[in-house]
Amino acid sequence: MTVVLFVQRVRPRVALVANARPTGRGTPTADRVTRELTHVFLQKKLLQKLVPGLMHVFIFWGFIVLLPTIAEAAVAILDKESSLPILGGASWFAFVSDIFASLVVVGVAMAFFIRKVLKPDRFRGSHMEEADRILLLILAIVVTLLLWNASRIALGIAEVPDWRPVTNLLSGLFGTGGGAEIAERVLVWAHLLVILGFLVILPGSKHLHIATAPANVWLAKDGPTGRLEPNRIDLEAPEEDIRFGVATQKDLSKKQMLDLFSCTECGRCQEACPAWATGKPLSPKLLIMDLRDRVVAEAAGEVELQPLVPNAVVDQVVWDCVTCGACVRECPVDIEHIDTIVDLRRNLVMAESRFPQEAAPMLRGVENQENPWGEPASARLDWAKDLDVRVLQEGDPAPEVLFWVGCAGAFDERAQKTTQSVARLLAAAGIDSAVLGPREKCTGDPARRMGHEYLFQMLAEQNVETLNGAGVTKIVASCAHCFNTLANEYPDYGGTYEVVHHTQLLSELIAAGRLQPRTGDGKITYHDACYLGRHNGEFDAPRDVIGSDIEEMPRNRERSFCCGAGGARMWMEEESPRINDTRFEEAAATGAETVATACPYCLVMLDDVAKGKGSDIRVVDVATLLAEQPRI
Amino acid sequence: MKVWVWADVTPDGPAPSALELLTKARDLGDEVAAIALGPGAKASTVALGEHGAKTVYASDDEVFSKHLAQPTVHALAGLVEEHSPDLILFPASYDARDIAGRLQARTGSTLMANATDVLGPDKARTEILGGTKIVDVELKGPAPKLVLIRPQSFAADPSGGTAEVVEVKADVPDDLKKAERLERHEEEASGPRLEDAKVVVAGGRGLGGTDAFEQLEKLAAAIGNAAVGASRAAVDAGWVPYSFQIGQTGKTVKPEVYICAGISGALQHMVGMKGAKRIVAITKDPDAPILKIADLGVVGDLFKIVPALTEEIEKRRTGS
Repeated sequence: MTVVLFVQRVRPRVALVANARPTGRGTPTADRVTRELTHVFLQKKLLQKLVPGLMHVFIFWGFIVLLPTIAEAAVAILDKESSLPILGGASWFAFVSDIFASLVVVGVAMAFFIRKVLKPDRFRGSHMEEADRILLLILAIVVTLLLWNASRIALGIAEVPDWRPVTNLLSGLFGTGGGAEIAERVLVWAHLLVILGFLVILPGSKHLHIATAPANVWLAKDGPTGRLEPNRIDLEAPEEDIRFGVATQKDLSKKQMLDLFSCTECGRCQEACPAWATGKPLSPKLLIMDLRDRVVAEAAGEVELQPLVPNAVVDQVVWDCVTCGACVRECPVDIEHIDTIVDLRRNLVMAESRFPQEAAPMLRGVENQENPWGEPASARLDWAKDLDVRVLQEGDPAPEVLFWVGCAGAFDERAQKTTQSVARLLAAAGIDSAVLGPREKCTGDPARRMGHEYLFQMLAEQNVETLNGAGVTKIVASCAHCFNTLANEYPDYGGTYEVVHHTQLLSELIAAGRLQPRTGDGKITYHDACYLGRHNGEFDAPRDVIGSDIEEMPRNRERSFCCGAGGARMWMEEESPRINDTRFEEAAATGAETVATACPYCLVMLDDVAKGKGSDIRVVDVATLLAEQPRI
Repeated sequence: MKVWVWADVTPDGPAPSALELLTKARDLGDEVAAIALGPGAKASTVALGEHGAKTVYASDDEVFSKHLAQPTVHALAGLVEEHSPDLILFPASYDARDIAGRLQARTGSTLMANATDVLGPDKARTEILGGTKIVDVELKGPAPKLVLIRPQSFAADPSGGTAEVVEVKADVPDDLKKAERLERHEEEASGPRLEDAKVVVAGGRGLGGTDAFEQLEKLAAAIGNAAVGASRAAVDAGWVPYSFQIGQTGKTVKPEVYICAGISGALQHMVGMKGAKRIVAITKDPDAPILKIADLGVVGDLFKIVPALTEEIEKRRTGS
């Protein structure tokens, strides 16, 4: 009966995932195995929050350990004298299951304490009552188990009672007479019935994650999270084969679908999301929940199949995202919110031409002049007027390192200073470097994050052709976004190079003694760029270049808070309170006189606030800090 | 040579583009005519004549404004067949682009869009690669050549004269009247629209607050027919609404004169105004990037300079 109900309830969800678009991520890789071990069995991502993490570890491991006891109880229902082979009489198992069952009780108590007493904001919008029901069921499962074992001890039919400290203690509750006999029968039945009931409730609840999460972790992206899954657009292909992102649930990939059924509504993503933190409608958690609810309702025929935007989530939610990756990083079950958001954007931009209109000049600029500001290509070298910079002409021998300047670095007056600093430092270290000058085009990052995959694809192909044609093998980029795109996304388009960020190269050069280390004083804080730090794991190099002590902001390194410019938000308007205001306040609160950055977007966003507030705080790239050191 | 101009008209009169194009048409041919269809056409004929139209084919019939372009194109194609013009100039407005495209399909002639100048009966000029290259294009194929011209490519200049008005019949088959305009929305604005104004006065972070924008309003009023704009910083600070914003994520303006005060010239702002013919920058920062593209840079206290400038303009106006 339970099995029938379970299958009946779980089948529509399994079908949704099974029929979704393939991901090509099934094959075992070292990353997948490692992730399965660390994220699932060692609960690494859950333990990013210690107390809720321990709560979950207790319950998770409790249930892993207690799995055989279900069989034990099932056997005992038929014959209370017999037990499982091997484990049945094993004193160590008796001890371990006794302890872990107790830990589950502790875990449930912690969960209720968190939910009812601490009430963190991350649960806003989650289904609280459903979670309560699940927790009570869990409690009922282990309490019936413990009491059942206690009654068995009381009756003298338990094996190795001395190895069961907790139940031994509880056995005092039962006499040895007929009462205990009845209690033992009632409890073992209750135990199994609760488990069966749990199975029936499971498929429709967020607790389905016990089945989906391990699969979702397995299917997660290998390598840096900064890489977006390509959406190849071949205009020669038959129309029905061309996909423009995600319009309806039919366009979702298996991973994207499984994401929806893996969400536990824990809200860690919501808590970390800069958009949500500044009062925008986007919460990664609510996005996933709303998509899930719509997908399920459509599959059940309750509502018509419709585009997910605006029927599941409204347009603004899709456009609020800065793709900073804080949600992806926090998610204990490896949901990839960014890929889904970008896929939704792709459809809005490429199929519907529906996007915040203030971003249109950026797309036009990238399309016509190959840079977001629509500046002429001939101005790409304006920054180098007073410098001796080698411009790589067609047919020239490839330099040891190609300096990828980026559009901001070429055209933005503030970012130009960084570019000049990097160029000076490369020259000072005696590096054989060159720039592409007018042959460099936007990497396509802003167009891609905006959802214009086709425009990105064209630029990627053109740039790869230029780079491959020039025989480039190593690239240094001074923009975190260019760096990420070149390093992680161009390999999908035939461009594989050794790509380093300028802070990485500079720190190497300092370590090798080819550049003088910086020995500045004055209080400095460092703002981690999402696409250098969280998305690509580089936290130390920029700090090494700064050299002196850093007044760290409360949110730093992996947990840094975005400047608000990623995900093409640089080219969209934002309602107050703005993300950059929030971040700048955090930086100012450290008491630092200087905010060091490593990305032109961060530089401009934070400097805008500094100027707007009339603050004396200087916002400057780490390269400039190093370059302005007096040389000996 | 017969050169025609498509005149966008409303009950308020002809669009400035019609007068600009007629001024140009005078230089191109001896038989200059204008076509004006829809309410306001007849009333516009005087101005069209003054700018060089010898003939205006006109109709005030609502059928030309109530529907999409089909009835207009039907009437226009009839006129083309009857009179065989050599060249027709269209402004690059939404309606005229629609009309020109459909007319091209009907006549099988050549249509060139986005022109900045017309050099002869079969030669026009445009900018490509985002304005970085200027190319002259030869127009081949049967007459009439159709050219869509960007607004403000020529300055309107009346030559005097009166046009003969020829009534255009409004007998349009019913199947061309299927698509109807149900509503029109007027954008509310006082003074000229920021994008259209010949003079723009813009303020930035240096203004320090809402009050200083009143100084700019006064300056704009003294100049007359000038619009007030702002940089993103001023909008972000909440001093003026977003509709004032000039720049990458705001409006793009190309006025004759752009006067800015307290704007340092972040890239975000400059891409929205660097097309201005003359740029006057008032800033206290001698290193401000805006000074690099300004035709006239004034380094000093805008709170003194702007009122003094306003006063001087008012004085000269009343003095003359």
